[in-house]
Amino acid sequence: MTGIAAIGTYLPRARLERSSIAEAVGWLAPGLARSASGQRTLAFWDEDSTTMAVAAARDCLSGSAGRDAGDRIASLAFATTTPAFAERQNASVVHGALRLPPDCIAQDVTGTPRGALVTLHMALEAASAALVVAADRPVSRAGSADEMQLADGGAAVLTGAGPGLLAYLGGASLTSPFADRYRRTGSDFATVWEERWVREEGILKLVPDAIARALGRAGVGAGDIDLFVFPGTIRGIGSAVAKKAGLGNARIADTLAARCGDTGTGHALLMLAAAMEEIEPGERILLAQFGQGATALVFEATEAIAERRPAVSAQLDAGIPERHYLKLPVFCGLLPWEKGLRGRGGVNEALSVAHRYNDALLGFVGGRCRETGAVQFPPSRISANPQAPLADTQDPYPLADRLGRIASVTADGLAFSHQPPACYGLVDFDGGGRLMMEFTDPDAQAMRIGDAVRFVFRIKDVDEQNAYLRYFWKAVPASAASRAATDEADRRSA
Amino acid sequence: MPSGLKDRVAILGMGCSKFGERWDVGQEELMVEAYLEALASAGIDPTQIDAAWYSSHYDDIGAGKSGTPMAQALRLPNIGVTRVENFCAGGTEAFRGAVFAVASGSADIALAMGVEKLKDTGFAGLPTASRGTFVPMYLPTHTNPGNFSQLASAYSARHGIARDDLKRAMGHTSAKSHANAVANPKAHLRKDITIEQAMSAPIVAEPLGLFDCCPVSDGAACAIVTTPDIARGLGKTPLVTVKAIQLVTSNGWEMQQGGWDGSYVHTARIAARRAYHEAGVADPRAELSFVELHDCFSITELVTLEDLGFSAEGEAWKDMLDCTYDIDGRLPCQVDGGLKCFGHPVGASGLRMLYECWLQLTGQAGGRQLDAPRLALTHNLGGAPAQNVCSVTIVGTGER
Repeated sequence: MTGIAAIGTYLPRARLERSSIAEAVGWLAPGLARSASGQRTLAFWDEDSTTMAVAAARDCLSGSAGRDAGDRIASLAFATTTPAFAERQNASVVHGALRLPPDCIAQDVTGTPRGALVTLHMALEAASAALVVAADRPVSRAGSADEMQLADGGAAVLTGAGPGLLAYLGGASLTSPFADRYRRTGSDFATVWEERWVREEGILKLVPDAIARALGRAGVGAGDIDLFVFPGTIRGIGSAVAKKAGLGNARIADTLAARCGDTGTGHALLMLAAAMEEIEPGERILLAQFGQGATALVFEATEAIAERRPAVSAQLDAGIPERHYLKLPVFCGLLPWEKGLRGRGGVNEALSVAHRYNDALLGFVGGRCRETGAVQFPPSRISANPQAPLADTQDPYPLADRLGRIASVTADGLAFSHQPPACYGLVDFDGGGRLMMEFTDPDAQAMRIGDAVRFVFRIKDVDEQNAYLRYFWKAVPASAASRAATDEADRRSA
Repeated sequence: MPSGLKDRVAILGMGCSKFGERWDVGQEELMVEAYLEALASAGIDPTQIDAAWYSSHYDDIGAGKSGTPMAQALRLPNIGVTRVENFCAGGTEAFRGAVFAVASGSADIALAMGVEKLKDTGFAGLPTASRGTFVPMYLPTHTNPGNFSQLASAYSARHGIARDDLKRAMGHTSAKSHANAVANPKAHLRKDITIEQAMSAPIVAEPLGLFDCCPVSDGAACAIVTTPDIARGLGKTPLVTVKAIQLVTSNGWEMQQGGWDGSYVHTARIAARRAYHEAGVADPRAELSFVELHDCFSITELVTLEDLGFSAEGEAWKDMLDCTYDIDGRLPCQVDGGLKCFGHPVGASGLRMLYECWLQLTGQAGGRQLDAPRLALTHNLGGAPAQNVCSVTIVGTGER
């Protein structure tokens, strides 16, 4: 028996009001006004598919199932149609940030938003402890339907040897050269074909076929499905597929179009996670996605689902409304903007140095002196504790999952930033040690001395000249809930 | 405890270029300007200089990371020229090298020069500098206004000072330096401002506004030092001698450990304590005639007044508002306008402060001459509050 042991999601905080898109580019595309309601997520300037994949995976692994799996995660697949690097495996960056075991097999999966379910299907058939992460930050033409409907976000699932939260009953994947959209390597934008043709000749033929095969393998009747999860931007497409496939009793999962948009490769998993907040034990779920074929997977909710519910609604509620349409093309790199002299310099990453410090930079691992307990970042041969500058006494000390408190702040209007002013300051880690860190997200300027923070993996610098992205960790406000949980843990350990 | 430098080295002469936006000259001409004045005031021939130290921080203005640019600009007689860099404290570092050379007996006469030509970089504010390979991979992209605004936020949080009170005290700090600089023909900014102007200026990094920040200037300053005996032999009177030079460098404690609350500069307190001991100063507030502090930002000056023991902790902002540090106050501060108005050519500033001390102590300060000063202090800070190089130098007349 195998199944989904844990699931996690990530939505960027900023939510671009679709009405602001229509106001900015509606004159070019009058049809936009009809779809100009609700919000779509907008990745901050320092987020890409890799950072959102890391965030979703951390959410997935933060529960007991994730912690138990720990060192036994055998494989990592990172599915995205918007990989940050074409060469340099992006999954290896996710692997480094998550500090997965060195013998964990990692792969990038790309080419179709169905990539996440394809990989999940394979992992479930293999019944292995696999981590499947998916995230996209689509780049769309101004005034396109994609710009309105697509969105930024990520999701992750952990499979395991036991039934977990959702026991796997069976599945099917069909492959077809059906091209509803394409984007040649090196091209910025996708070309899409007529929606009615995609619906009639593509989705409504391939998906019901995959569903029928999956149900057959699962030994479950079409009428026994309680919930159908199927992402798509075509209005009413979930109901149409359900009808064609004979899912007479199934609820149709919310596409989250109104408050989030379609997050691409991770969207089926995001919709599943959102639905899992209300699924009852024993209910049967059909999860499907379309793209150069179709995948359909059948699950049954276990008793464990009541114990650990995903927090998608909380993530939806944590959005910060954004009305500056231009942040979309600027953050995506579509619009050249005046960076000034301070923004001109290249990063010129020394790859050899980055590799020497991979644990520190990607894994956010500091050092802790085993004699004095002094914590520091970055680690060094001689301890930063001036009372006891001992040599070679430091053990690796992971900091990513700790909380911190702000010791000093600035909102620097002079430093180069993609979202001025640059906010940064000293952060004291719970348990010792401190670091001057960048604060990020749209509300960074509200951070004050004494505030609790948690740490997120983000783009640190963008090197336009050498087409390089440098990643590191930044501080964001810690929720009251995570602060209370940590204080409680400290009390217990004290 | 070492016996120290007190009265073992004398200032023979000094020079200083006009500071400012010197579109008319390069770093070579700036050095020559300061050098010729120093040479004339010292009353020596270039062949009498045994060794030289040269401070320049930025390497991207054609100055080069060696002693050759200065040796060539000044056409020095094939003596050893050592280039030093220690952030904004480089000028004091150069002076320290020259003083050490004389005190050790390896040089009879040594020269120290600091220069910075910043206005050919195209930047308003200090240029972005190379930080090496590893550090930028984790430290934020930062500027000095950003770094020192954190000193302001931590200082006001520690002492519970309302924003408006701190802004007013910072405004007084800058207005006082502007008033002083009006009487200084070599200063970059020679224009009175009001406290209200300072308080309402555009914010650069909260709570620091434009008038809380020193300008970026071109300039050079130069000192020629020797033994007290040689100086006396050349008829130098009153004789200005070095009483103490202390330089303290952060070891990462402030930046990486949790003990420092960010409201003061740890190294400044250590440097001051050591310098007072070396100079035999028991009560600095009473014994010092005036001080030249590293007022890169108004908040730096306020906090430093406490770190050096002139004001009680948390009280400097009140003392500033009470005019204690005005030119006619109990302890005049930034008599020449300071970094704020004389200007801040990074590698030169430490020597510029000593230039003002030397002018005042020898009665050459013209319209801003203080009444019979005897003992002066310079404080030269390089880096950021969390990680820096801090020096305190004391010079004076008469054997003490």
